[in-house]
Amino acid sequence: MTGRVIVITSGKGGVGKTTTSANIGTALAKSGYKVVLIDTDLGLRNLDLLLGLENRIVYTIVDVIEERCKLRQALVKDKKNPNLQLLAAAQTRDKTAVNAEQLKEICDTLKEENDFVLVDCPAGIEQGFQNAVAGASEAIVVTTPEMSAIRDADRIIGLLATKEEITSVKLLLNRVRPNLIKSNEMMSVDDVVGILEIPLVGIIPEDAGIITSTNKGEPIVNDENALAGKAYRNVAERILGEEVPFLDLDEPKGFMAKIKNAIAKLKVKV
Amino acid sequence: MLMEKSAVENGFIIDLSSIKNTSQLVFELSSIMEHPDVKGKNICLKLGSLDLKQSQLLSIKALIESMNAKIAFIDTKSEQTEASAVSLGIMIKEISSDLTADIAPSEEDFKDSEYKEEAVEERTENPVQDTNSQEIVEVHTEVHNNPIETTEGIEDIYDEVSAQELSEVIPSENYQPDGFGILAASEGLLPEETSKYILLDTGNVLPEGVEENSVNTESMQTLYINQTLRSGQTISYDGNVFIIGDAHPGSEIIAGGDITVWGILGGIAHAGCNGNITSKVRALKLNAIQLRIAGLYARRNDTLNVPYVQKTNEFTPEEALIEDGKIVIYKKLRRD
Repeated sequence: MTGRVIVITSGKGGVGKTTTSANIGTALAKSGYKVVLIDTDLGLRNLDLLLGLENRIVYTIVDVIEERCKLRQALVKDKKNPNLQLLAAAQTRDKTAVNAEQLKEICDTLKEENDFVLVDCPAGIEQGFQNAVAGASEAIVVTTPEMSAIRDADRIIGLLATKEEITSVKLLLNRVRPNLIKSNEMMSVDDVVGILEIPLVGIIPEDAGIITSTNKGEPIVNDENALAGKAYRNVAERILGEEVPFLDLDEPKGFMAKIKNAIAKLKVKV
Repeated sequence: MLMEKSAVENGFIIDLSSIKNTSQLVFELSSIMEHPDVKGKNICLKLGSLDLKQSQLLSIKALIESMNAKIAFIDTKSEQTEASAVSLGIMIKEISSDLTADIAPSEEDFKDSEYKEEAVEERTENPVQDTNSQEIVEVHTEVHNNPIETTEGIEDIYDEVSAQELSEVIPSENYQPDGFGILAASEGLLPEETSKYILLDTGNVLPEGVEENSVNTESMQTLYINQTLRSGQTISYDGNVFIIGDAHPGSEIIAGGDITVWGILGGIAHAGCNGNITSKVRALKLNAIQLRIAGLYARRNDTLNVPYVQKTNEFTPEEALIEDGKIVIYKKLRRD
């Protein structure tokens, strides 16, 4: 078996690379595929937090590279889905602890036993980025509909084009707010695709549930009702080659409304 | 009983009576508890006919308290839950059906503006909110002071600690008559859902060539660090390490001997990294993501994975050590 190695990158920080990695990984694993997530953000790791696996990490990618443990030992299994495994970044080291060849070797080993290897790339275009893309054959560029994020994404797409190994670069538009697009305050999906000129793999609506899910360590794809969760499940299906229409974002379901429905507030008088 | 005449102000009813299994209950409850409006409230739980063991109810209580709220009373149709609640000192009370009808959530009730106004109003009505919550605490302790069979005879040791606090973490069968109480333990001692830490099945992770030993840690050098350790910072020392400050999540303390944190320990702590099994980890608030002593690794229970620890001035120091090949945590209640 030779799996697909997909790098998730963006250039700019804070656009949702890690959230995207965690959610696509979880969604693919839920469909029965074997998935490994690699966090390459050495020194600023977050992927373990989003998956709620921080307390289970004993060995990190640096331990594997410096041969303090075997690769198999460093893979942390997800709490719910044994198909999903995480190779965590070291928090106490920096990007220079790893080089591109070492990461490529790890990706090559992992793709032999897994269907998907998703590499969560750090922000920036320096060593961390170079490391993360080294083993990948596909890339997903995450951006938000803001000029600064789009400018950085454009730069990243240019850099990815120079890598021969990367055969497919797709766009994931995150934190889209249909209301703002309607009132012409936010760039529309078509505008962004028009600027970047790469195929779209997903549109994720802004969802307050993301904050809760991050704090809880529970990817939002596990929430059947969340719109962002549904959007990420659709992205996973598109990665698997299915044709799924993009979500109609005109009727956003309020997350808070749901919680509020679950809570009854009163003064108890007995 | 005591609350018969008084009213529970500042209360919330959470109706979970339709839920049929514990894990779903905990999931629902935790998502509800994250709502900011629940903070500091007195929670009235409606549990329906679900059977809850004492340990399960204990973790639910801990979950609610970790969000800075507390249980005022529960309403249950199950005898087992009722018995568990009695032994934990939780009030049982029926929430009358007309009351729940009143509070059936209507869309309008939740318009943000109304919501806020109401909250402000409450405050002006009850300028001294604290007295209300104190009332309920008293109810708790009072229930507990009625000697419960299993704790009889040990009470004098714990008299200064509120009974409520004990019930929170120490199941009665694990009381130790030596002035310590086992707070949490690894496999076998406590059911998983109430253990604070769970041993990782990594086996003994001592590096090759390192053997278990029990050198007295008092004879080792001690490194004093007078600062807060932040994410990504590592302290590695052959002797004991003493930190005056917090150790934030993401930091790592590795010591050949003991680790003592005069603050909140939130990162990874590895005491006795050279195989010293007499090493201990102590902290004013022991909340380490992982506790490692010599070759034993334990992870924090997932139920304790909260975004941050609320800082208070009241700490109960805790100490982790190896006993019978397991990591055991003691809550230091008294020195003598």
